[in-house]
Formats: sequence, structure tokens, C-alpha cells
Amino acid sequence: MKKRILTAAAVGCALFLTTGLTAMAETKTVHMGDREIEVEVTDIGKSGTFTYWSAFTGDSATWEQERVDAFNEAYADLGISVDVQYVPDGAGINNGKLLSAIAGGTAPDLLITDNPTSAYQYAAEGCFAPLDGILEDIELDVSDFYDGCKDVMYYDGTCYLVPQDTNVIMLYYRPDLAAEAGLDPDNPPTNVEELDAWADALTVQEDDGSYSRFGLIPWLDSGDDAFVLPFIFGADPYLADEGRIDLTSDQMVNYMTWIQSYAKKYDPEKINAFTSGLGGMFSPDHAFMTGKVAMTFTGNWFTEALRQYAPDVEYRVCPVPVPEGGRVKSSSFGCNVFAIPEGTSEEQAELAALYIKFCEQGSVNEDNFAQWRSIPVIDAAFDDVSLTKNGDEIYALEREIAASPENGIPALCAVSAELSTQFQNLRQTLIYNTDLDPAAELKTLEDQMNAML
Amino acid sequence: MKGKISGYQIRTALKLGLLYLVLFAFAMAFILPFFFLLTGSFKTSSDLFHVPFRWLPSKFTFDNYKQVFTKIPFFRYLKNTLIIVVFNMIGALISNSLIGYGFARLRWPGRDKVFMIVIATMILPYQVTLIPLYIMYTKVKWVGTFLPLIVPGFFGNAFFIFLMRQFLVGIPREITESARIDGANEFRIFWQLIMPISKPVLATVAIMSFMNSWKDFLGPLVFLGSDKLYTLSLAASMLRSNLNPNWELLLALGVVMVLPVLILFFVLQKYFIQGITMSGIKG
Amino acid sequence: MEKKKKGFLSEYTGSRMRRNEARTGLLFVLPWIIGFLVFTLYPIGSSLYYSLCNYKVVGAPKFIGLDNYRNLFKDRIFIQACKNTAYMILIGVPVTTLTAIAMSIMLNNKKLRGTSWMRVIFFIPTLVPTVVGCLLWIWVMQPESGLVNTFLGYIGIKGPGWLSSPTWAKPAFILMMIWTCGNAIIIYLAGLQDISPALYDAAEVDGANFLQQSIHISVPLLRPTILYNMVTLIIGVFQWFTEPYIMTEGGPSNATMFYSLYLYQNAFSFFKMGYASAQAWIMLLVAMIIIIVMFKVFRFGETEMG
Repeated sequence: MKKRILTAAAVGCALFLTTGLTAMAETKTVHMGDREIEVEVTDIGKSGTFTYWSAFTGDSATWEQERVDAFNEAYADLGISVDVQYVPDGAGINNGKLLSAIAGGTAPDLLITDNPTSAYQYAAEGCFAPLDGILEDIELDVSDFYDGCKDVMYYDGTCYLVPQDTNVIMLYYRPDLAAEAGLDPDNPPTNVEELDAWADALTVQEDDGSYSRFGLIPWLDSGDDAFVLPFIFGADPYLADEGRIDLTSDQMVNYMTWIQSYAKKYDPEKINAFTSGLGGMFSPDHAFMTGKVAMTFTGNWFTEALRQYAPDVEYRVCPVPVPEGGRVKSSSFGCNVFAIPEGTSEEQAELAALYIKFCEQGSVNEDNFAQWRSIPVIDAAFDDVSLTKNGDEIYALEREIAASPENGIPALCAVSAELSTQFQNLRQTLIYNTDLDPAAELKTLEDQMNAML
Repeated sequence: MKGKISGYQIRTALKLGLLYLVLFAFAMAFILPFFFLLTGSFKTSSDLFHVPFRWLPSKFTFDNYKQVFTKIPFFRYLKNTLIIVVFNMIGALISNSLIGYGFARLRWPGRDKVFMIVIATMILPYQVTLIPLYIMYTKVKWVGTFLPLIVPGFFGNAFFIFLMRQFLVGIPREITESARIDGANEFRIFWQLIMPISKPVLATVAIMSFMNSWKDFLGPLVFLGSDKLYTLSLAASMLRSNLNPNWELLLALGVVMVLPVLILFFVLQKYFIQGITMSGIKG
Repeated sequence: MEKKKKGFLSEYTGSRMRRNEARTGLLFVLPWIIGFLVFTLYPIGSSLYYSLCNYKVVGAPKFIGLDNYRNLFKDRIFIQACKNTAYMILIGVPVTTLTAIAMSIMLNNKKLRGTSWMRVIFFIPTLVPTVVGCLLWIWVMQPESGLVNTFLGYIGIKGPGWLSSPTWAKPAFILMMIWTCGNAIIIYLAGLQDISPALYDAAEVDGANFLQQSIHISVPLLRPTILYNMVTLIIGVFQWFTEPYIMTEGGPSNATMFYSLYLYQNAFSFFKMGYASAQAWIMLLVAMIIIIVMFKVFRFGETEMG
């Protein structure tokens, strides 16, 4: 008797759940900033408020607030709202705040961070909730996302992170300086030999041995990121199938040798004397803007820096030139990723996931795309972006690069944060000690890191 | 004879002149960054980054300040900071004077050994205690309130205890001995005899405690769950966007953050320097 | 129990008053004892335990004995961090101390007028919030438009990249350390004022010049003050964190990877709380040893004791 009641109850619940979970979508017009946008609202039969940590501060916080307000307006009828907190330093992912909060059980229901590498490590350590089921419930289809983005989304076959947008790395060059040096600005370098030739031709050395311009400093800007260039140059720092770190592949050793060749050619101390920009890429004294370097590797966001601080500087972009065995016309992806910390109740997690779904929409992302030339995580979504409609050339190139099947996010593993730091350290050591052997040093680091896995 | 004297005078004058010059150069070196901070806060970003360096803005702008006050909820941060600062000052003054008195003017077994422990705690890196403390504060539901940043202030700070003790040790015993023989209780002696003559060291503790909580970055960042509770030291992080540091705004914020401390310093300067002077030296 | 307590206080049982005094003393110190137990001993005890564990903050600590300590000495960055911190202690601290002493001796010259405002100027930098100080120094040390290189340029020297140069980054931090030595200057000045002018007069009669007077009279008599200031500085160097964190993040080429910074990275960026705790304990022990040795060296032949 008792059993039968229970069964009946279970069936009832199941029925209720299935009906409750059938997400209903409708379109609504809401305000975002001073614009009116069309958004899709998904009814999952639940309501409530969830907490959200946003990594966006300063001017970016203004945009985030607009997005939050738009969400709250769209979901007001369903009784769903988001309570946003602005947490500097990638939503506290690198400064102890998030870790403390997770340890103390006070983490938010949702967060977004601009540091996918660290986020991945959190996911690997079990700090984030698996999302597959939740995404299914709220009907957010991530199967069309770029394969390259999926690197960061899945750990061990389970989805933990969802990218909001992504970025690509390109080679920026100054056509005026190229022409001056007798190079053809319409035919930028496509492989490393040509790149080296351009770099040499564009370098200007004074009689006293000092330099007034470098063609290329390969560890400037995004070249300073741990694995961006090694990845494009063909290296795979982490072999997921074998579960081990590989820093001794030919591509990696060649990359490091190539970096060292620049250190040997130009004294790195002399390079330092005029390249350390205050704002990274956002200050008018950036070496590319002042003409002290003629080429640099950096992401699409740099176009915004140029627009703000050097509107008169003529520049062009091309895919990063690669050596033999490199990833041609490709890039590593740099994403802002959403995550739901472990310990969030299922109900809260679903509400939080609605926010993720909301933010994936082109209409919500439009300002972000237009200002920073960030790109969607689905190829088809390009069509709706104003830059595409306006025939923006750089944006078209970005789309082309983004479509490469060889893209990805390198070196994601359970020790990715430390691996990146250690690798950057090693590179600097090799730059300043050109007598050290890259292969041997890479081997030492590889062994050390593999021992930790 | 006369010539010799004037030669001596000339040499003395020269020496003094040289001394002035050296000191003046040092003083300039110390003050120049402030000059830069102040002028920089009135510069536009293109002025700021101009090479060669521009001593004065080519065009004075108040825009940076306007943005600092509008882009972040400045006055809310200020209010939060002041709440924390004031409670910390009160806590520091009460607790450290009591504790310092206990170490300096009362004899009890093991006192000097315990004092060595006090000194030893000055060396502790706070990064290590952060996580255990955080877990503890979570259990008592303090995270997300000001309490983790205020309550510990009421239980003494090694450095302030040290300052207080050094100062109080220097006060002659005779001052309290007669009161003690008259049977006055220790707390009265402390409150009515010792505290009034301890103003310098109290001023020092007050300023230093003010500065500690005024500039604390990691504590507010980690313990204040909500950005509605954030303090001014976090303002710099909230002001810079993820890619653009907005240098000219940071400089304006810098001016705004330095000013209150300077004002407090000039108000209490006389006592403060006296306090440091009288406590630091007798090791 | 009662008996033991009596024994514990036996040397104070001479008079009732003394026993009362002991009780009152403990009462006065009580806030510190509570605070110490709760806010210091408990967390530091936990961290001692963590230092023997593989502890990632998320998940329970797993006991691994002394592995963390062993691994530290195989860790190249850790060794680099130790070297950098040692550099600051062996070069930075003495240089700062000498500068502060020299400035205070100059300021102490009775014939000089207008030193009070200079005293204030030297002190003001210590009042600057760390974050603001760091922002300023990033600028001061700028290779192109920075104040230091602008001045070097005036006298025809092309300054280095300071914070972006492995050779010059540490000296840049030492300059910053000197900039904030106002506290020490004021304490030295106080110490100098305690020295009887008669000593200098006597030396003057013997024909000792300014420098000789300083070396033979001022410095020896300043010993307790120097000890105090150096110990404070050394503790500061061990905890040197915000500045490199904001200004260089340990770079270039680990040149400014100082002890506390690496500790922080391990704890919060690399999920290695156990490892970081081991680092903290080593730091605690080393700092204690250095400070005890300094007390011994400086106190040699002195009778007065804290």
C-alpha cells in the first residue's frame, strides 16, 4: 500500500517535472542601455533570485550593469532576477577571494571570469558544477560552439564552463613603416622566414648601437601570454589523450629557439628600455602606437586601444605567420567564461543558467562585439553582428581565422595556472640567458610539471 | 688672526651650504612623486603619456576627478572605509593601551617570554592565516559583514602593543607608585594617571591604525562579500576596466586617497612624531 | 591544581600585593591572549598542519608528511625567491639604513635651520596608501617618460628600463624602500637628540671631522635604534608583497619574485595551500633566527634588556 502511494507520488512528480521543465520561449523587447533590443525569454516554470559575480569593472562594469538590467526586465514577469556583484581580478579567481568563498561555502550561484585558464583549473579541481544536464533543461544548445572553444568547456567529457564570446590573435603591422622599409604592405608575411625578414628590414639601429625601432618583439603583448604563440606555431603543450604535459615537441623547442634568436639578435635590456607600456596595450605610449615596433601579435581588442589612443596611426592585420608544422590562419581562443560554483542548488543553478543563455544572444552581445571586435562562439552568429553587416574587413578576417578547425585553447589541465606561470618564467629566463639550451630547460620543466599531475 | 677666522667662517658656511644642498636634493626627490601625482591628476591622457615628460598639464582638466566621483560609488566606498577605520581606531586605542600597560607596568610570571611571542607574531605572513580565518568567519556568519575587519582590532596588534609598551616603560615608576600605595586600583591608575600623559603614543597608534585600515586591500577584498560594502582601497580595482587601466583616473583617485591621511597627519603631527620618538628608541 | 597554581606564582608570593599585581597584569593582557588564541594561534596551527598535507582548499587535506618541505628545496622558483629576498635583506636593508642614518645625522646639525619642514617631507611618503605608492612608482620608474630617467637624461645618462629589466628591478625596489624610510629617520633623529652634545664638543677639540664624529660617536650610540629599525625593515622585506604584486608580478625573469609573493601565488593561484603553508613556516623560522642573531650581535656587551 505504502509502496503504491510512493510510486504514484513518484509518477506524479515525474509528470510535474517534465511539464515543469518543458522550457517555453518567447520573444520580448527590453532596454539595454539606451537601446531597445529583442531578446528571447525562456520559462522553465521556476522563479527566484540568484547571485552573480562579474569580473567586469570600470567601463566594462557599465556594460555588465546594462546587461543585468535588461535580464531583470526581461524576466520580471517570471519572477526571476539576478543580483550582481562586481569582483575585481577575474571574479576573484586569482586573488584568493573565490577560493576562500568556495572553501567557506559562500560562493555565488554564477560567475564570469576573463581568465579561462584558471577557471579550467577550478573546474578540474571540482569547484564548479557540471552543466550538461542544466543546459539541456533550459535548452541552451552548445553543440554548435566552435570546437576550439570546447577545449575550455569540457573537462573529462563534462561541461563546466560556457564562453560568452571569444577573441582571436593576429599580427598587427604598420603599412607606412613597411613601405618606408621597401616592403609591400599588401603582402604581409605568411611564414616565419618572411616574418623574420620583415622584422630585420623594419628594425632601425642608430650609430651608437642603440635601437630606435624594432621590427618585431615576439614577447610583446599577446606574445607574452604563456601558450598563445607556441600553440599557433603548432605545439600542443598538454596531450589530453595521454594525460601528460609535452613541452619537448619539435614545435615547442623550435618556438623557444626562435624566441631566443631574437634575444640574441637584440640585447633584451635595450628592448626593455623603451617598450614597457604602462597600460599594457591601453596607453598612448604603446610601442606600436609610437612607431617603436612595427609589428606585434595581439588580439582584436587592440583595435579599440588604437581607436582610443592613436586614431591617426595607420595599421593593418593579418593572420599570425607560422613555421612549418604550424597552425596556418589559426588562433588560440581567449574567452570570457561563465561557471556555476559547486554547491549551488539545482534550482538556483537553472536560474543562473538562464542568464548564461540570455548573454549568448547576439542582440545582448552586440555592443561588446562592436566595440571590442570580440566574436561570437558560433559561426552563424556572425551574420547578425553589425560589423559583419557593415562589411568590416578586420571582422571578416577574424571570422575566417575563427573558422579554422585547428583553433583551440592550449594547455588546459589540472595544473594549467601554474604551468602557464612556470612557462612564462622559463621563457624570460631563456631570453635573458641566451647561453641556456631551450630543449634541456623545457625538458626539466616538463618533468617537474608532469610529476605534479 | 682676523683672516683665519673668516677662513674658518667661510669653510663653515660652505659646509653648511653643501649640507643644505644635499638635504634639499633629497627632499626634492622625496616630494617629486607627489608633484607628479598632483599634476598628473589634472592631465589628459595624451598629456600624461607625452614624451618627453611634461612638468605641467598643457590644459588643466577636472574631468578625471569628475569621473572618479561618478564612475564608482565614491562616497559609499568612503563611508564604508570610514566605518571600518573609526572602529579600528577605537579598538586599537582601547585594546593596545590596556595590553601595553599590562606588559610594561605590571609584573607577572612569564611576562617577558609572552612578550617575545607578541613580537614573533609581527612576522606572520597574513596570507597563511587567511583561509583558516575565512573558514572560521564563515562558520560564525561574519563573511559579508564588516566584522572580520573590525573585531580583531579590539584584541590588540603586535606592533601597537610594542609601541605602547616601549612608551609606557619609559614613564618613571614613581608616578604610579604613590597612588598604588594609597590603594588606588590598577585600572584607575591606568586611566587617570597614565593615559593622560600617553597622548603622543596614542596619537601614533591612532594614525597608524587609521593607515592600516585605510590602505588594507586583501582584507576588504576577501571578506566583504558585497560590492556595496567595498572600501576605497578597492576603488582602484573597480575603476580600471579589464583591459584599460585608465591611468589618469587612477592618479586622481590617488590624490583623493592621500589627502585625508595627510590632513590627519598634519592635525596630529606634533603628538605623532613625539610618540614615535619616545617609543621606538629604547628597544 | 591549587597547589600547582601556588607554585607557579611562588616567586610572587612574597607579598599579597605582588600576587594581585600578577592577576591584574594578566587581566590587562587578556584581550591579547584571547585575540592570540583565536586570530593567530588557531590559524597558524591549522597552517602547520596544512604544511604537512596536500591541501588544495577544496577537498580535505591529505597528510603527506614532510614532502612539501622536501619539494620546496627542489623548486627553482622558490630558491630564486629566497635569493631575491636575501638580496633585499643583505643589500636593500643596509643601504636603506645607511641612507636613513646619514639623512638624520645631517638633519640633526644644530646650525641648520628649516629642518622641521624637511622632516615632514621625508615622512610624508610613509603615509601614502600602498596601492597609490605603487602606481606612482610605476610612473617614476618609466623608461621613457619617468621621473628618474628624465633626470638621468638631463645629465646625459640613458636610464635603464628599471622595472622591466632583470638587473635593475631590484634596485628600483630599493629606491622605493628608501623613499618610505621617513619613519626610521624620525626615530634616528630622536636617538641622536639623546646623545649628549658634550661628546661632539670633545671630539671637535680632538680634531675629529664630521664624518669621524658620525662613525665614532653617533653610530655606536644609535645601536638600539638601528636594531629596532633594521628588525622592522627585515620583517617588512619578508612580507614584501603588495608592491611586487602590483608593480611587476614577480617579473622580469623572476627578478622580483619575493618570498611572500611566491607564497601567495602558490596558495591562491596554484591551489597549493599545503605547500604555501610550508613556505610560511620556513619563513617564520628563518625570520626568527635572523632577528635573534641580530639581537645578540647588537646587544653584545650591553646589559640593558627589554
